[in-house]
Amino acid sequence: MLEFDGLHKSYGSNRVLDGVSFTVAPGSMFGFCGSNGAGKTTTMRIAMGLAHADAGEVRWRGRPLDQALRRRIGYMPEERGLYPKMRVGEQLAYFARLHGLDAGAAAHAAEHWADRLGLGERRGDQVEKLSLGNQQRVQLAAALVSRPEVLILDEPFSGLDPVGVDALAEALLEQVRGGVPVVFSSHQLDLVERLCDSVGILARGAMVATGPVAELRRREAGRVLRVVVPDAPPGWAAALPGVRVVSERAGDTLLELDAGTDDQTVLAAALRTGRVTHFAWREPTLVELFREAVAEPAGEVAA
Amino acid sequence: MTSSEPRTPGSAGLVRLVAAREVSSRIRDKNFVISSVVIIVLLLGAMAFQVAVNSGSDASRLGLVGGDGRLGPAVEAQAEAVGVDVEVVDYADEAAARAAVRAEEVDAALLGRAGRGPELLVIDRDPTLEAVVDGAVSGLAISDRLLEAGVDLQSLPEVAVTPLDGAADDGQQVVVAVIGVVVLYGLLILFAQFVAQGVVEEKSSRVVELLLATMRPWQLLAGKILGLGLLGLGQIVVIGVVGVAAALALDVVDVPGEVIGTVATVVAWFVLGYAFYASVFAVAASLVSRQEDLGSVLMPASMVLIVAFIVAVQAAGDPAGTLATVTSFVPGMSPLVMPVRQAAGEAVGWEVALAVVLMLVAIALVVRLGGRVYAGALLRTSGKTKLREALRAERA
Repeated sequence: MLEFDGLHKSYGSNRVLDGVSFTVAPGSMFGFCGSNGAGKTTTMRIAMGLAHADAGEVRWRGRPLDQALRRRIGYMPEERGLYPKMRVGEQLAYFARLHGLDAGAAAHAAEHWADRLGLGERRGDQVEKLSLGNQQRVQLAAALVSRPEVLILDEPFSGLDPVGVDALAEALLEQVRGGVPVVFSSHQLDLVERLCDSVGILARGAMVATGPVAELRRREAGRVLRVVVPDAPPGWAAALPGVRVVSERAGDTLLELDAGTDDQTVLAAALRTGRVTHFAWREPTLVELFREAVAEPAGEVAA
Repeated sequence: MTSSEPRTPGSAGLVRLVAAREVSSRIRDKNFVISSVVIIVLLLGAMAFQVAVNSGSDASRLGLVGGDGRLGPAVEAQAEAVGVDVEVVDYADEAAARAAVRAEEVDAALLGRAGRGPELLVIDRDPTLEAVVDGAVSGLAISDRLLEAGVDLQSLPEVAVTPLDGAADDGQQVVVAVIGVVVLYGLLILFAQFVAQGVVEEKSSRVVELLLATMRPWQLLAGKILGLGLLGLGQIVVIGVVGVAAALALDVVDVPGEVIGTVATVVAWFVLGYAFYASVFAVAASLVSRQEDLGSVLMPASMVLIVAFIVAVQAAGDPAGTLATVTSFVPGMSPLVMPVRQAAGEAVGWEVALAVVLMLVAIALVVRLGGRVYAGALLRTSGKTKLREALRAERA
């Protein structure tokens, strides 16, 4: 288990992290979501020893992370960092060696990952001569080249084209299948939804929701009803008891029902306005879960 | 994915990896290669120039016709006595000598004519050569007359020469020391700059985050300084060897042993000076995140180096002066000033030892304190970090 346990961090009077905790099982992918400035990067930097937590710790297999354990982590910082004038192949081999591979294994791994991420022909080029997308791939290769036991990736998908996203996603899934816990942060929630076994949503320095996507969805499901009534006058549902109108556009209405409200009353009311072309409980997307989690005061939905 | 399992590299291993990267990336850097070549070409050029100047002004060729076999040796002896080189070339008759002068094969031709006084044929008048020839001819004539008069020439007194404090040799050593200090200064600036640029490059490219996830700041700093230091040491040794070899081959120096000693002293001071300035520059550079800001933070340390250089050059003229004596003990200045004083024979053993100890103490302080600043400032990649902030950040 990779455990983030009660991380607190303040910069002066600014409380960035206020008790962030979550765990990632080996062989699973954890999507780390949160609005800008929510503290995702700080959390990851604390794990990598680049920032000191005021309280709390990060453990891998029950042991607090130290320099030796961190060497077994593949890390991709938010601000990409590579030597601009160093050749791709040499750079990858260098990082592999810093993580403890011997010269032969490092050269081999550098070649493998360059090929694997479609950089085979660019291995002899200086990094600064590559396109941004390709630099991103080198960055990822640098995280993977040392055969890490854990992957911590800050916004690994940002700036990639769809082909690059697929290549990266496939590479990460392969790591997961090999038993590596992967934590990555992203604003591309569809991607998180597609790839991750579980997600964590960070808001105002604390985790406001964690768990498998399906579970979060179930928790929120059964509350929002989508009704499409093309002939209905605007505000047709406003007066219904126990019903809150989430949105309404040309008869396409999203309604949130209180616990005791019968959906059949709503259907009857809808039918009174004319044709009903759609009536169904709606599964919330991760985007909606995210909006909701981030918007509401932490206490109500905290896991 | 084959081969051995990764193992945890030790400190020495990490430092070596960093150092090896510095060396291999610098060696392929165009600026470094060009600067190395330029320094050696300049050095060889300066020596070749000196040789050319010496041979051009001193060695004259004198054609000689007749003169009963005594005139030639007499001219050469006279020339040596006044410190110029004159080569005597014999010609069969006046016509051949005249032609040689016109063709500028010789600078002048001396015609020893029986019965009349000798005649000197020239195209451009050369007072030195004329004086030499004049002296030789009159010398011969005087000794002839004296012999005729029966004077005993064997009993003339000879002047015994005793050199006091070997002034001439020291002069040469001081010249070598000044050249050495110029090279030393150039290399210190160059390599300390390399270190500073490397630090900022890692900060500005943010690669430092990846590096610090695998090693401690001091390991990164040590590897960087060691790697570039070895390169610098290699370069100054190459320059020293090439310089000494060329000087011996071209016959620019008279006493090779002492010159080699001076060169070795300069190399030894380079090691101390580099350790000091590389650390100071690295720490200063860690406070900024952009190459553009580098100049301002390096300014104070650069000033010390520049002042030391000026004092060192000045000390060559006045190695016993108060300024030279005092600054030769000041850490940071001693690597440039002390070699000059040593070469001039003005510094005794304990003085050199004291300067070295003071320098070592300063280096230890810079590494201790600077290491903390470096560690604290390295991850602050926005703008300029204040020294105090960096120290506080490290403790947190």
